[in-house]
Amino acid sequence: MPVDPMLQGLVAGFAVEAQEVVQKVTMDLLELEREGLETDALTKLYVRLGRHLHTLKGSAASLGMQDLSDIAHKLEDALAPLKAHPQKMPRPVVDVLLHGLDLFLLRAQAHADGRGDALPDPAAALAQLVADAPPPEEAAAAGAVPVAPAEAAPAPGPGLAEPASLQDALPESADAGWRVSSWQVTALMREVERLREVRLRIEERGRELERVAQLLAKQGLLAETAEARTALSGTARSLRTDGEETSDIVDALEDGLKAITTRPVRTILDPLQRMVRDLSRQLGKEARLSVVGAEVSLDRRLLEKLQGALVHLLRNAVDHGLEMPADRERAGKHHEGALTLRVEQQGNLLYLEASDDGAGIDVESVRRMAEQRGVATSEETARLNDNQLRDLIFRPGFSTRSDVTDTSGRGVGLDAVRASVEALQGRIEVASTPGQGTRFMLTLPTDLGSSPVLVVRVLEQLVGLPMLAVEATQLARADALRLGKRRAHLEYQGQLVSVVDLGARLGLRALAPPAEGQPLLIVQSGGKRVALVVDAVVGDRDLVIRPLPSEVRDVPAWQGAATLSRGELLLICRPDWLVTETVQVQVTAQRRALVVDDSLTARALHRAMLEAGGFTVHLAASGARGLERLATDTYDVVICDLDMEEMDGIQLIARLRERPETASLPVILVSAHDSAVARERGLRAGADGYLSKRECAAGRLLAEVLDVMSRRGSRA
Amino acid sequence: MKVTPRTLEETQEAEARELLERRAARLREQGESTVEEAVHWIAEFPLGEERYALSLESLRAALPLKMVSAVPLSAPHVVGVLRFQGHVLAALSLASLLGGHGWRQDPAVLLVVDRGDGELCALDCEAIPRPTTLPMSAVEAARARAEGAVMEVFTEDRQLIHLIDLKRLFSATRGTGARHAR
Repeated sequence: MPVDPMLQGLVAGFAVEAQEVVQKVTMDLLELEREGLETDALTKLYVRLGRHLHTLKGSAASLGMQDLSDIAHKLEDALAPLKAHPQKMPRPVVDVLLHGLDLFLLRAQAHADGRGDALPDPAAALAQLVADAPPPEEAAAAGAVPVAPAEAAPAPGPGLAEPASLQDALPESADAGWRVSSWQVTALMREVERLREVRLRIEERGRELERVAQLLAKQGLLAETAEARTALSGTARSLRTDGEETSDIVDALEDGLKAITTRPVRTILDPLQRMVRDLSRQLGKEARLSVVGAEVSLDRRLLEKLQGALVHLLRNAVDHGLEMPADRERAGKHHEGALTLRVEQQGNLLYLEASDDGAGIDVESVRRMAEQRGVATSEETARLNDNQLRDLIFRPGFSTRSDVTDTSGRGVGLDAVRASVEALQGRIEVASTPGQGTRFMLTLPTDLGSSPVLVVRVLEQLVGLPMLAVEATQLARADALRLGKRRAHLEYQGQLVSVVDLGARLGLRALAPPAEGQPLLIVQSGGKRVALVVDAVVGDRDLVIRPLPSEVRDVPAWQGAATLSRGELLLICRPDWLVTETVQVQVTAQRRALVVDDSLTARALHRAMLEAGGFTVHLAASGARGLERLATDTYDVVICDLDMEEMDGIQLIARLRERPETASLPVILVSAHDSAVARERGLRAGADGYLSKRECAAGRLLAEVLDVMSRRGSRA
Repeated sequence: MKVTPRTLEETQEAEARELLERRAARLREQGESTVEEAVHWIAEFPLGEERYALSLESLRAALPLKMVSAVPLSAPHVVGVLRFQGHVLAALSLASLLGGHGWRQDPAVLLVVDRGDGELCALDCEAIPRPTTLPMSAVEAARARAEGAVMEVFTEDRQLIHLIDLKRLFSATRGTGARHAR
């Protein structure tokens, strides 16, 4: 039925409004289908449902879309007998109403697109709708005790023109706002990020000024420096005020941008309720989806891209995760399976968790199917632990279904989910307990927001820890530590907490118990706690955590990186990785090498060569740092750059030869100088070997290391 | 010889024809020489004892090698991460990626390159590369011959250049963390 051309402009707005109203009706219907609702709640739901349907009918009629008005009217008819005696809505009625709503929306959209003329006559669809509906007496006779009509205001009588809020749904007139393209908003976001970095720099300058003022005070010439100190302190105070104002501006800009670019997660999660309901019915299962954090507002583009991944995860949970109701009851579970979507935003990181209380992932079945489908070879699966086997479900072509159904079995699903999450520079992980359920965890970066981060130092490496995970900081005291053969524990609040040395965990040094007075951070994640040993606590910062590039995104230790005030990057550690028990690798038999070089790339290259040769490699960026490492750790060989600032290789060797513990330690000098004189000078200084960079480039390093170690060994 | 005087129109017409013929000849000449001189622009640099090169169109920037943060527990070919135009990039050891063992001098430069899949990364290098050209025909022939990520191309003066195909290099290393062999 064609719409009056005069009204066509309003129909698009109506379609949008109708979509929102239909979504509300759907949610109410799903609620009415559940058991255990109080009669008051039922009454309110029925009244609200009636109002919404009536709004749809009135609005459609006022725009001349009689077909839509008729559909809404039929739906009201189906609802009427139950509304008179509020009770749990029988499933067939819910089905009819949901089907009618689908029909309504399809036709509304067709009208909005100007395809109203091409729509088939609604009579057949309406007749089918009526035929599908149970007779009124049957629908009403569901055994519930009739209750008094609701106290709430009754719905307006049929035929009255509903004061539909069409005005709200009208498209904004051209001069009511601005049309802004997404790149302009993105550019603004980048500027806000730059402003945030400026604020960091201002804070850093303030701290530097305070340090200078303190240094002046330590000179002792108090009277002579009094004026300068007063001026410096005044400038530092002004700078602090400027920093706070910048911070306020950043917050205000971010709030404004958020209002423009975000919408509540609810807008994509609510439609999933219907999807879960329909799919579980189709499969003969029962499921209920709970959403936590639906009010969180996120970038609209991110939400659109996430929707597909969430649909996949939930369909998977219903199809593969949840058991049939009878099986669940036999296993001592409620017949209705519980699905939970949890959304949480911390700073500029979004955490999304989709879990079910189903059967969990059967690792053996995953192994078998992966081999059968050629996703992995039996040699490969034999080498994998349970977690790695579970991760096979993300590989292309994987499915545990042996048959292809409408829902699954085509081996397309979780690999697509992972691809879409990775396209958003996020990561996805899975955890599962047999018989108890499965949990998919998605971590995604968002454009706006910053996170409080505690910056710590381990050797020369700065590391960031999300402040939310840091429960407390304290200094190590011998009386609070319990040292075992393999690991240490800290007595904390009446409990023994495992002590984890961050340096050892990151492979930067050998494991050693904390020294007296060394900083300990109590880090918690997922209900687990550890006492983290660091060398220094640098301070807290408010930072934007950016995703890592693909080359390092899979390193489980790191969540992302943030820019510090001088432009350098700070790696942010994942608290859940820190609290995870690690398999104790027997490294006693492995040879250990220390590489001392002030070139980052030379250190990386030597490390690669030596690790390939079976060495455990530690790195030091200067002679002084090298000596520190050698004072606490033992090594089989040292590879040292000859030309370093402050302390060169010759000086380092001299210091090593002075100490009895390192006097006979094999040392190989590496230098860009390839002359006989340089070689002779190095060997005379006490080096066991000398390699030019040219020789290293020719692949001589490992052979020279083994040769030198063997010579030293035979001499000993 | 009898000279027939030409009218003004005839003279102008003849001049115009000559001019057009000269232009056409010049254009034909240009077309032929373009085919002969078809070249592939490269950024050439030493690696160990050999000469390597990247396609110049994949090169986005050359930066001093500083402000790189090491990433503990990463793959051996990862030198660290750095910030470039608001993004976090991985700095990778080119020598390690190519299965080499080192440089003659410590790298002082990072080359920001397009990996061939739209993503950027930085590769270490001894010095800022030299822009130069290779005959396109030699590059095409080498590409057809090569199976790995490094193609051996001879310059006109018979110098051997190892031309790196970044797309092949990164598709070979993706997910494995392993270095690439020729």
